[in-house]
Amino acid sequence: MRMSSLILRTAVRFILPLTFLYAAYAALKGHNGPGGGFIAGLIASVGFCTYRMSYGDRAFHRLLPLHPRWLVFVGLGLAGAVATLPLVFGQPLLRSASTTLYLGGSEVHLVSAMAFDLGVLLVVVGVAVGMISRLGEELDR
Amino acid sequence: MTNNLLGLFVVIPLATSLATGALVRRPVPQRILGLVSLCSMLVLALTWLVRIRDGEVMVSQMGAWPAPYGITLVFDSLSGLLLCAGLLVTIACYVHGFSMVEPLTERRYFHPLMQLLIVGVNQSFLTGDLFNLFVAFEIMLMASYGLLAIGRTRRQMTQAYKYLLLNLVASTVFVITAGLVYGMTGTLNIADLARFVADRSNAGVPLPTGFTGLSVMLLVVFGLKGAFFPLWFWLPDTYHTCPISIAALFSGLLTKVGVYAVLRTFPLVFAAGDARDVVLPILAVSAGATMLLGVLGAVSQHNVRRILAIHVISQVGYMVFGISMMTTVGLAGALYYMIQHMVVKSSLFLCCGVMERHAGSDDLDEMGGLLKRHRWLGAAFFVAALSLVGLPPLSGFFGKLVIIREGWTASWWLSAIGLVTGGLTLLSMLKIWTQGFWSPESGPRLNRGGDAGGRVRGLRAAHTGIGILVVAAVLIGLAAEPIYDIAFHAAEQLTDPSTYIRAVNPQAGDYVLSASGGGG
Repeated sequence: MRMSSLILRTAVRFILPLTFLYAAYAALKGHNGPGGGFIAGLIASVGFCTYRMSYGDRAFHRLLPLHPRWLVFVGLGLAGAVATLPLVFGQPLLRSASTTLYLGGSEVHLVSAMAFDLGVLLVVVGVAVGMISRLGEELDR
Repeated sequence: MTNNLLGLFVVIPLATSLATGALVRRPVPQRILGLVSLCSMLVLALTWLVRIRDGEVMVSQMGAWPAPYGITLVFDSLSGLLLCAGLLVTIACYVHGFSMVEPLTERRYFHPLMQLLIVGVNQSFLTGDLFNLFVAFEIMLMASYGLLAIGRTRRQMTQAYKYLLLNLVASTVFVITAGLVYGMTGTLNIADLARFVADRSNAGVPLPTGFTGLSVMLLVVFGLKGAFFPLWFWLPDTYHTCPISIAALFSGLLTKVGVYAVLRTFPLVFAAGDARDVVLPILAVSAGATMLLGVLGAVSQHNVRRILAIHVISQVGYMVFGISMMTTVGLAGALYYMIQHMVVKSSLFLCCGVMERHAGSDDLDEMGGLLKRHRWLGAAFFVAALSLVGLPPLSGFFGKLVIIREGWTASWWLSAIGLVTGGLTLLSMLKIWTQGFWSPESGPRLNRGGDAGGRVRGLRAAHTGIGILVVAAVLIGLAAEPIYDIAFHAAEQLTDPSTYIRAVNPQAGDYVLSASGGGG
């Protein structure tokens, strides 16, 4: 499933960081607007998949040197842990804690739900990238 | 009463699923983790069930968002009873699987999928939100697709594919219906929906146009999952091809989750107003046809697995019968019957697994003389079979008694079908008993080496699983009264939802009371 076209490769070199940036933007925006970890994960995996398509499997392994399965495990573990933590404090599942930091005059609103979203993001990237590269392996044979 | 630890019923299996997934190449630590997870949840469920035996309702609001907006987990008598029965059945099937599931299959994510299935099942029993019920169904189904396809044989794949396709259709209809319900009522919280419906009927305002249509759509969805007539065609083939411990678990859990969804949503919400006159006759006719056709199908089969699988359908008919009356006693009977059916049916499937192992096949023609060599297996099967038929000291009797007696006046024809079905059930069970256990040993069986010593020793886990369920089946019969009491509380809360509504959403509870006061 490798399309070695010079145009695609050059384009992907720019697209990859852009998709990651956009994914980060969507993930952060998602707290109060449309977006969130799921969408961000999909956007990021678009970046990963185009990279894999244009540069091939080996280069992709250098970019993401671990099996996507572990992204799923880590993501689920992180999201699960953040969701469960409130139980220790007698709060219901998924309760989000929040704090506001003052950094040089600007306010930064921090919520624990962000870590949950990060977990979701990792799961989505892991699943999407894992499935697509598995399909790619079949096609490469 | 608020109990935020209710989330543990989702967290524990999810965490175990992750942990066993990481240990996927090592069966023994996975088994230990899985058992610890299941047993700890069973202990929790039993403790809390005892605590709410007087009909209280435990509630946890996810993320502390109040009821109609957030997701609510509700642990009332209905959820509690089913949770306990479900976990008990899972433990037994899981242990049985230690000796029945092939080592290669076991290393292919059997344990993580098992835990994931329990996440879905627990969540469907606990959730108080229609959309979340859909999510729970999906989790459960995804795990069940995995478990069905786990052996990777061609036949299994064909069946898994059919099952997947049907359930995708059902899920799509479900999520569309949920969207329509939200558009019509502005809420998906089951307690809030119940309040909506109760308010309308108290004020004498008719329900929105199309509400009946939504009820019927949901009935189709749940009917497909619960294998009601005429939507039961997928079931026999599905249970026929997968590893027997998994089939036993599915027979105990999956269809029951469909029945549970009807039991939870219809008395409270979807059988109200005009919808009642449409839904109840459908349920009644479907109950009769499910009972009778199911058992006729079972009598005509010549294959232990198929007989048992088709019996699942016939037994679902009794539950639908209980629900279709929509009286407190009828619902309580249906719930009690469900509990005992989960235990008994799974134990029969587990016995069938061991019988197959001994005889080398599940064809009755090739079985025989099992009683002479395997006395305890025979005894266990006998007790479970009679319990299914409904002989007095055993658990099936009380469930059938309550349902049939309740139906005797209003829907006597259903009661009559129920009695006939009971007789035919006895017939088909006797068929397995006489041909499998009582008949003289048949020749070709011995050549297959089904009884090799090593294999029999390897069956200890399977026997433990059967033992757990058969003892539980007898105990449910002996302790019928306390269990029926809890089931009765559950049914009372279904016919009079005010306790449930007030527990889930305190403000809405006042609203209902004031509205009914104003109306009177």
